[in-house]
Amino acid sequence: MFRVCEQTVSREMGEALVQAQVSVNPFTRAVLERSTCAFSGVLLENVCVARETGLPLCQDTGMVVFFVERGNQLQLDFSLRDVLQRVVENVFASNPFRFSTVTDPLFDRKNPGNNLPAVIHERVVAGTDLSIHFLVKGGGSENLSKLWMMRPGDGEKGLVDAVKQHLAKVGAAGCPPLHVGIGVGGTADEAMEMSKRALLLDPGQRNPDPRYAALEKRLEGEIEQLHLGVQGLGHGPSCLGVHVLQAPTHIATLPVGLSADCFLMRKGNVCFRGQRT
Amino acid sequence: MKGRKVWLEQLGELSSSLQLGELLLLHGRLFLMRDAAHKRLFPGDTKPDVTLDWNGKTIFYAGPAKPLPGWASGSIGPTTSLRMDPFLPALLQAGACATMGKGLRGEQARQACQRWNAVYLVAPSGCAAVLAQRIRKMQVVAFEELGPEAIFQAEVEDFPALVAIDSQGHSLFNGIAAPQCGS
Repeated sequence: MFRVCEQTVSREMGEALVQAQVSVNPFTRAVLERSTCAFSGVLLENVCVARETGLPLCQDTGMVVFFVERGNQLQLDFSLRDVLQRVVENVFASNPFRFSTVTDPLFDRKNPGNNLPAVIHERVVAGTDLSIHFLVKGGGSENLSKLWMMRPGDGEKGLVDAVKQHLAKVGAAGCPPLHVGIGVGGTADEAMEMSKRALLLDPGQRNPDPRYAALEKRLEGEIEQLHLGVQGLGHGPSCLGVHVLQAPTHIATLPVGLSADCFLMRKGNVCFRGQRT
Repeated sequence: MKGRKVWLEQLGELSSSLQLGELLLLHGRLFLMRDAAHKRLFPGDTKPDVTLDWNGKTIFYAGPAKPLPGWASGSIGPTTSLRMDPFLPALLQAGACATMGKGLRGEQARQACQRWNAVYLVAPSGCAAVLAQRIRKMQVVAFEELGPEAIFQAEVEDFPALVAIDSQGHSLFNGIAAPQCGS
């Protein structure tokens, strides 16, 4: 069997989470450097100020969504869920972040003051490692999320039209240029989860199936044509990338899930190598 | 940074001279509030627990992160204005002269700006560490128990904002069919 050390997971996940909040990723930086909008100066200045002060890039330090892939030959002598929740609690307690959760969503909406809970998706894969990806998901971009239960006959054109119309209406509110994840197939819940998982991919990465890779490029072109612009003000790029993930589905269904991330694309991943015991 | 220097205390008198798309640098006092405080102040059928004087005030749709020791404010930036659209007519009727947030607003909000001679400003999003440096003082005005959703009063300096709906109801977002509210 293989093991990983609880303290190592805790420490490295904590460091990665802080890093994602205060340090801009290279794709976003490149876009900021070459695009001009009324606020270009302050947007670039922000990258430096956040790094130097430890203040988060955005005041919405989000809900943290983890995607765990646990090797089937790995034996954990601790509760990974508890460790990840504690990582979030400790990082948010010891950094100038914002507590952005409410415990009861409908009635009380009381803020627990610890940014818990984090959302954790977990699956077992073949192997000996523990791989943990995460998204720092702000509310503004999360509100762009959408699920369509399309008719199988709607096909590619139906999907493209639905995505385009939806983002034309609400895209400007999600801090463009947007990173868009699309989940096609599965069940309703699976389509949404795939759309989130697609946001873990980086601009430039492509679906290995050439038909889906072409769909990604087509959607990028269509979203660019919406001219949302930086900050939704109509100038500069509208889309940082589109990633599509697909899965088998029922003969009667064509679920399509959409998730979007803001231009900061705050995320991270750490892979822990299992040690033989 | 370029931009027309505007004192927030005079924004109400100036509003008809502000040009669509004009970049402003705000100085003076802003009032921060977002979803939860709006719901308490404008509950619809029932009487609100608290009433505040909104005459001539500029409301910033925002909830700050925690400050570093010695700083007036933590990272701060606009939230989606569209969600506050249902409350805008009541706020402008109560005397507020401007609102500031991010993103497009619905037709109802555009009409409210026109009717009450008010402007809607867009503040830059995703640059919250820089904006924290532009805040000199900050204090809670009401609903402290809401944490980052409390109503705050902030003294700002060189705070950047773009005129996105002018007092005649012209909008930078014309041509984009915004939903009535939500998002």
